[in-house]
Amino acid sequence: MTTQTQVAPRPVSRSRHARNLKECLTGWSFIAAPMTLFAVLSFGILVYAVWISRYDWGLLGARKYLGWQNFSDSFKDPVFLRAIRNSLLYAALVVPLQTALGLTLALLVNSKIKGSNFFRATFYFPSMASSAAITTLFILLMTPDGLFNKVLHFFGVNISNLFNQGQWLSDSRTALYSVIMLNAWTTSGTMMLFYLANLQGIDGSYEEVAKTDGANRWQILRYITLPLLKPAHFFVITTGMIGALQLYDQAILAGGADGSPNYSLMTMVLYIYNACFRQFKFGYGAAIGLELFVMIFSLTLAQRFLFGSRAWKGDN
Amino acid sequence: MKHKIGKFLLFGALLTYSFVSFIPFFWSISTSFKTESEVFLNHILPQRLNFTAYVHIATKITPTLYRLFFNSLFIAIVVVILHLILGSTAGYAFARLRFPGRDLLFYMVLGTMMIPDQLRVVPVYILLVKMGLISSHPSNFLAIFLIKAVGAADIFLFRQYFLNIPKDLEDAARIDGVGPVQMFTRIMVPNALPIIATVSILTFQGTWNDLFWPSIILQTPNHWTLPFGILEFQGQFQTDWPPMMALVVLATLPILLIYLFAQKFIINMQLGSAVKQ
Repeated sequence: MTTQTQVAPRPVSRSRHARNLKECLTGWSFIAAPMTLFAVLSFGILVYAVWISRYDWGLLGARKYLGWQNFSDSFKDPVFLRAIRNSLLYAALVVPLQTALGLTLALLVNSKIKGSNFFRATFYFPSMASSAAITTLFILLMTPDGLFNKVLHFFGVNISNLFNQGQWLSDSRTALYSVIMLNAWTTSGTMMLFYLANLQGIDGSYEEVAKTDGANRWQILRYITLPLLKPAHFFVITTGMIGALQLYDQAILAGGADGSPNYSLMTMVLYIYNACFRQFKFGYGAAIGLELFVMIFSLTLAQRFLFGSRAWKGDN
Repeated sequence: MKHKIGKFLLFGALLTYSFVSFIPFFWSISTSFKTESEVFLNHILPQRLNFTAYVHIATKITPTLYRLFFNSLFIAIVVVILHLILGSTAGYAFARLRFPGRDLLFYMVLGTMMIPDQLRVVPVYILLVKMGLISSHPSNFLAIFLIKAVGAADIFLFRQYFLNIPKDLEDAARIDGVGPVQMFTRIMVPNALPIIATVSILTFQGTWNDLFWPSIILQTPNHWTLPFGILEFQGQFQTDWPPMMALVVLATLPILLIYLFAQKFIINMQLGSAVKQ
């Protein structure tokens, strides 16, 4: 140490200067590739999307400038309106369901019960497995002759008297609700883990104080645990909603590209897929993509407003 | 006493729920060993172990099972490597190096997480067409790699991890005259094995399971991945469930294996990253 203080100041600052420059160059070169990709494929592409959305843009041939016509056209298409309705209905039902299920599982698994590690692992696995695999086996389970109806039959339900004759996925009245059931189950594992992480961060002393004040379990849950989980609620509900509005995999697997039967599984993203890759109307598809983005963005802001700005910051 | 009964009921409820969660996976395995005529008898176990479905998917489907499996594995492994390289270097730079614009650029990285893939799909597709990457040529795979090369979440996780590596370690090395690049390769990377494992597992799982981008980008059956193959075969097989379920089993198997071996690690790392987000 003493030797360092004895060194003349000038060479030190020069070498430090060189070191700083080296550090800068290393820093920039280490982030160069990711930042280039982000600049082109995330930010640049947004501008490109707006550009494309204002044209009649096919795969080949001349492009015609349309202004905002793609946007106004979309709201005149009954299939698109159906897609918006389906996506919103799906999100409105699946988000509360998966949140409630995830929260319940987290609260139960967090209690000091035997085998809680085992339960965590089994509840989380459906979130890990491939959507293509799970949806396909769900289709098998839900076919009229499948296991689901067999179980209903076992409990005394007369399948042929049901309003849909047990055609859960091929009846337009029940197809979307069946997919809601499926996804509430698969996504609840992820939600459980988010809640679990936040539950473990809660200071146990609040609960102790409440207990000595004579609060029962329900009161502790209602007035202490749930309010303390506010940042988690915000996170789970917001990410859940963003994910729900992007429903694609399960819809195309169970209903094909048309969201069959009778467009009951047509979602906004599936609609974009159809516009671009079956009708080759890329300008129109880009316009729908922007509409979806605006929808997701404004709903996220609305939730931030609802939960208050503290929940937003509490996420960090 | 009342407490004990409550615990017992709770345990029973949890056991029932995990049993119900397990049934679909069990059913896919069981069905894959049944004959076609046996499927809707809905017996719990096949009458006898029947490998016809596996033989069928191994020999009679186009693209071959080998192709689908290889494509899925190839894409997933390359994407994992890309995520590790780009995520760790950028994460290190954002955490430990000082350079102008660092914080602003990091906020930009976080900002990209707000842009949904479904908004990007149309312009990205047109860009890829212009680059000549949407074709039946093997360069088609480059399109997938380009889109999936970098993940903002990985950069975030690596940065978070490197921020927590003790400064002493770095200081000691610096006194020895180690520069920023060697600091990364010799000090940071060897100390980052848990986060490397985390990012590898998350990326592998996400890429292996992905249906959205492959279904849009991969042009020829020879390039299909397993999930995309499942989507395409559904129309063809329709009533022939055992081969379909054999595909489902094989598509789930790698994830299940990773999960069985690293289940505790995965749960804990997800808990950890959930707190940080």
